[in-house]
Amino acid sequence: MTPWLLLVLLLGNFILMAYDARADDEQRVIRVWTLAAANFVQSPITYAGSAVNNFFVYLANLRSAETENEKLQKKIQELEVEVQENKELAVENKRLKSLLDLKQKSEYKILTAQIIGRDPSAWFNAAVINRGSIDGVKLNMPIVVDGGLVGRVTAVSPLNSQINLITADKAGLGAIIGELGSSNALGVVRGKGEKGRLEMDYVPGYVPVAKGDIVYTTGQGGVYPPGLKLGEIEEVRTGSATMPHQIFIRQTARISSMQEVAILLYTPPPRPKYEKALPNAVKKEEMANSNTDSED
Amino acid sequence: MEQLKITIALIIAILLQLTLRNVAEPLTYIDFPLIIVVYAALQRNSIKALLFATIAGIAVDAMSGGLLGSNAFSKTLVAFVVSEIARRVYLDNLLLRIPVIAGACLLDDLIYYGMHRLLGQDPLGSLFITMAYTLVGTTIAGTFIYLFLDSFSSETLKRRKRDFFAPRRETRRRNPIRLGRKP
Repeated sequence: MTPWLLLVLLLGNFILMAYDARADDEQRVIRVWTLAAANFVQSPITYAGSAVNNFFVYLANLRSAETENEKLQKKIQELEVEVQENKELAVENKRLKSLLDLKQKSEYKILTAQIIGRDPSAWFNAAVINRGSIDGVKLNMPIVVDGGLVGRVTAVSPLNSQINLITADKAGLGAIIGELGSSNALGVVRGKGEKGRLEMDYVPGYVPVAKGDIVYTTGQGGVYPPGLKLGEIEEVRTGSATMPHQIFIRQTARISSMQEVAILLYTPPPRPKYEKALPNAVKKEEMANSNTDSED
Repeated sequence: MEQLKITIALIIAILLQLTLRNVAEPLTYIDFPLIIVVYAALQRNSIKALLFATIAGIAVDAMSGGLLGSNAFSKTLVAFVVSEIARRVYLDNLLLRIPVIAGACLLDDLIYYGMHRLLGQDPLGSLFITMAYTLVGTTIAGTFIYLFLDSFSSETLKRRKRDFFAPRRETRRRNPIRLGRKP
């Protein structure tokens, strides 16, 4: 009985793994159900944990409160003078802006979220956030922090979502070294399986690349919008006229120490149908269209 | 009673695994479900251990960035190996259980890592460093958890020890052959 049960369970798990390893953009139902169920445990524990932490921080701060108070009194006097100056500058700024007709625009809407759970396995670094489909979160929406892009939404339940980092191996995205439009150092960035480190491939060897250059997304691939910061170049193995550079990027945004992230409510433009189909499917579609035209 | 105790322990272990990393990062190196799965396997009930391993593994996988079913696969295999060893070797002593949990942890990590590599996934970090940390964390935590769990069933353990050793003593007492004496 036991060996048979073992075989059935191992086979079932292997099939599940093989199905999950497929590189498609769909989310798995089991993940969504588990996310929804886990929310009832993770949220209260996270809030209780942060409350306890805040209490101890508050106690620690009390000790230095008296000396800090004296310093702050002096600081207030200095700041009052500065505020007066700033008020005058703000009036002047407003007047100049109206003259130049400048408008402040936010390109994408942003939804802030709290990290309520981290990957239970030591081998991966996914996280769970407290925003779900009720808040308007959709699959593959980009996750950013002030340092730049960190990942995307990989599973959405009504109350919470799972996010995966761009350092994960499955992820691969179009990137450019330098500003979009002013550089032609295009390539593909993918995870290295190392925390906070990415690899950029296919950048032509004749393009000048230096350590410290900033890498941004290009928007190719249809998941991330263009212009999001990915990180700084940490190491370059210089290529040649026929060999591309091998570039290693240090991610500027770190998720491991963060409690809050922002979700870009960005929906990529729909892809043309023929991109998803085989080349001969395009021909069939064209033939079908031509046939209908001839019948008309 | 024993069944209920292990089931409750498994549920708590899964919940701890899902929540503790957010409280403190190093706690991720303790594999709580594995500790309970090995404990269940040491009770010499293979079927229960296998089912526990699969359920715990899938629950953890669903919340992880890894492949669905990978934890379940490795833990099921570990549960089978441990339960087979426990059927043949006396492992009710806590000191003997320490190498068992350590070995189970190593085997679990190797299978987990190997299955991901086999299916084209690259887990984060170095294999040896992560394995070493997990080995230390899980073995230490496992020892204390086993002490705690055993404290709930000391009567069962005493009865089992009595049953295990009783027939041998009885045979010796009734043996008519005595050394140095003629029958």
